[in-house]
Amino acid sequence: MSNKIYIFTNLHVFSCTMIEMIKNAIVPESRDLAFRDRILKTDVGKKIPTCIQCGICAGSCPVSHEMDYTPRELVRMVQLGLKKEILNSNTIWICTTCFSCSVRCPREIRPTELMEILKPIAVAEGIKNKNSKFDRIFSDVVKKTGRASEFLLISKYSLEEPGMIKQAPFGLSLIFKGKLPLLPDKMEGTDELKAIFEIKASETKEKEKKEPAEKTAETEVEAGK
Amino acid sequence: MKYSYYPGCAQHGTAVDYSMSVKAVFQVLGIELEEIKNWNCCGALHVLDRTARVALSARTLQSAKGLDLATPCNLCYSNLMRANTAYEDTSLKNRINELLVSKYDGSTKPKHLLEIIVKDLGLLKLAEHIKRPLKIRAVPYYGCLLTRPENRFDSPENPKSLDELISTLGAEPVKYYYKTKCCGGPILITNEDLALSLAKDLFVMAKETGADCMVVTCPMCHLQLDAKQKAVESKFNIKIDMPVIYFTQLIGLAFGLDHEELGLKKHLVKVDALLNKVVK
Repeated sequence: MSNKIYIFTNLHVFSCTMIEMIKNAIVPESRDLAFRDRILKTDVGKKIPTCIQCGICAGSCPVSHEMDYTPRELVRMVQLGLKKEILNSNTIWICTTCFSCSVRCPREIRPTELMEILKPIAVAEGIKNKNSKFDRIFSDVVKKTGRASEFLLISKYSLEEPGMIKQAPFGLSLIFKGKLPLLPDKMEGTDELKAIFEIKASETKEKEKKEPAEKTAETEVEAGK
Repeated sequence: MKYSYYPGCAQHGTAVDYSMSVKAVFQVLGIELEEIKNWNCCGALHVLDRTARVALSARTLQSAKGLDLATPCNLCYSNLMRANTAYEDTSLKNRINELLVSKYDGSTKPKHLLEIIVKDLGLLKLAEHIKRPLKIRAVPYYGCLLTRPENRFDSPENPKSLDELISTLGAEPVKYYYKTKCCGGPILITNEDLALSLAKDLFVMAKETGADCMVVTCPMCHLQLDAKQKAVESKFNIKIDMPVIYFTQLIGLAFGLDHEELGLKKHLVKVDALLNKVVK
């Protein structure tokens, strides 16, 4: 008899903990509905509500074992609007952009492209890591010279990432083979490219101007529910 | 046959060997590749702004001046294809065209060099130039972006074009289950440990097939599998010693071209054993 009570109590404690955990994971405050809607409104996001959580994306991903959240989980988290968890996860930066998930998804969601639209949002929110550094340097080099000279890229990246010094022998072996020209390859006149890179900046500003209004409307709708 | 040619950034750097073999082989085939003037980078996977990336490719596609646009690189190819798809959205098209000095109408067809050889030229025509059938076994490795995500030239799950090319040259394409599995190239600089472990999986499977070499279609895959092969060997304490060659180099060998002219001396993994087998 006493034994039974013991089990019962334990179960009770266990289920309470579970409920607490679930509560902690998805309390209304951890959901950012404006963020969710911003993603769902994009061409990539419009199919996200149709996800059936089958997991073929996670199963196809060559690197999901290294991710904080698998692509399947990420899609669900977007549905829930878990902005902070999404933007702080390594998932979007681990993705190798191989598109295996995207060609297999039965709902035609493209998780690869979801990662692509999340990256600039993460950067705008102040997320910094090796990938964001490299991507920034890459864009900068292309904007200024029109082409991605490998030597220039790696030199600039090494200045910000001192651990790259370990790669010096590798770099030298490429130089000896004539595969890493030291003079950067350039195109003529990069004004057009500057305009290309600046278009988005102005467009994002416009969006930000519009967004606060939308945000209030959405929050009100949600509160009304 | 004549195409506009978009070499991409790697051809002027780490893929200079690829570039040499493309020149040599296409000359034999009599296919003219006219390099577009003042081309720009496609943004690879690192220009994070998607609109900017579409615009970069649109500028390139516009420069093709009515011809199909040939490219040797899977990454460029995928970006060009995706830009065309994005251009189906008229408002995006108009917004980008406002920035371009010459407007792009969305009609240029980008083609990978493999596609040009297998589909446009045809393997029967290619076979006419073979002087030295290759008695070797080769791994057909397609990588990711040749067939994904656009899926317009070959199957994204089980592509066959490179297999067929290898057979045409007299060699045997081995059964290779990882033919479209990622090699880790895109994360090589920022996440080397993970990148090398992905490459290791490919090598272990390739060694199991007993192949003489791996055949690739992309400068990024080549950098990862050839130049980084030593790093994989020392990290996982295994012996790989697997020559990795571009499909154009393989064609060149079957055409009887000199291996130096094909850039094979520029590889980091020695190809001597492979050459001995070819010449025999």
